[in-house]
Amino acid sequence: MDTPDAALAALDERALIEACLANEPGAFDLIVERHRRSVYMLCYRFVGNHEDASDLSQDVFLRAYRGLRSFRGQSSLGTWLYRIGVNLCLNRVSAKAPAVESIDERQFVDERAESPSEAMLRAERGARVRAAIAQLPRKQRATLILRAYHDMSHQEIADVLDSTVGAVKANFFHALGSLKKILGGEDA
Amino acid sequence: MHLTPDQLVDIAEGATPESSMPHLAACAACRAQLNELRSMVSAVGKVGVPEPSPLFWDHFSRRVHDAVEHARLKPARYELWRWLRASGVRATIVAALALLVVVLVVSRTRAPHDAATQVAADAGARDVWSDVAADPDSDASLTLVASLTAGIGLDAAGAAGLAHEGSAEHAVTHMSDGELRELQRLLKEEMARPGA
Repeated sequence: MDTPDAALAALDERALIEACLANEPGAFDLIVERHRRSVYMLCYRFVGNHEDASDLSQDVFLRAYRGLRSFRGQSSLGTWLYRIGVNLCLNRVSAKAPAVESIDERQFVDERAESPSEAMLRAERGARVRAAIAQLPRKQRATLILRAYHDMSHQEIADVLDSTVGAVKANFFHALGSLKKILGGEDA
Repeated sequence: MHLTPDQLVDIAEGATPESSMPHLAACAACRAQLNELRSMVSAVGKVGVPEPSPLFWDHFSRRVHDAVEHARLKPARYELWRWLRASGVRATIVAALALLVVVLVVSRTRAPHDAATQVAADAGARDVWSDVAADPDSDASLTLVASLTAGIGLDAAGAAGLAHEGSAEHAVTHMSDGELRELQRLLKEEMARPGA
């Protein structure tokens, strides 16, 4: 793998894409490096396990590479990658029940600040919320994940989902209402 | 009138101040809904994702790099698919195959009325496959299809969705030698039957 050099690292997004299209060595590696974590986190939110999240993330970048010429820069590259990721993830979770990892693997927190029983309680709460999110309809789930975990604006989410801001807000509202019902009013 | 989902979401997220919605102070139902929204946003936000090992990222980048290199070195199938989509060749192939089907159906329908064909069929000895193999240029429709699809391999047909898994084309092209021989035998037997 080519290590992205300083000249490439100094390029802005548009110039980096142009470098990729010109087959500049290391250019696409740099795009991967910049976006790999957020893409992986997005995929993990949908599928709930490392292995599938890793495979899906790789697929996102491969499709992005193949479709880079069609990227017109109307949204940011990150939004475009999210768009690819959401579509892939929704197709995957429709075809396959999400494999959920053990409670120990489910969350990353600074455990120095909590007791083992608190950590267990938090992990169980997290597992319940994650399972509830997995039951949401596709658009509600995607909206909730992008809004709650990726801090995207309603407009950006609308771009990713080919939707409108009004529909995104309505989906977010209904997603939270559905979660409340699924969790049965417990203290999630 | 109660607050809309849009308005409640905006207030719950802090995009709109509560004070700008006087209705909220007077409506217990809307206040309860707003509190539920806030508690759910908070509960959802507490669910984290395990951070992969720092070693994972280098491994991941290498995997993607290798996959991209593979795609760069072997783009033929993908590029062919793009070309088929962009150029309209796919429509030509579909039209040619449709024409072939029509020609075959018409020729099969007309066959019993053709005295010469009828005699040959009655004789029961006609080998259709040998005829075609001996003189493939004799059938104008086959010639047309052959010229249109000369450069299209099975992979291309598959990419164009003409031989997807589960289709008859796919089944035929994935038969073993024994299965092909048996299919040929059955077809010959069928074509040799009087009136076939």
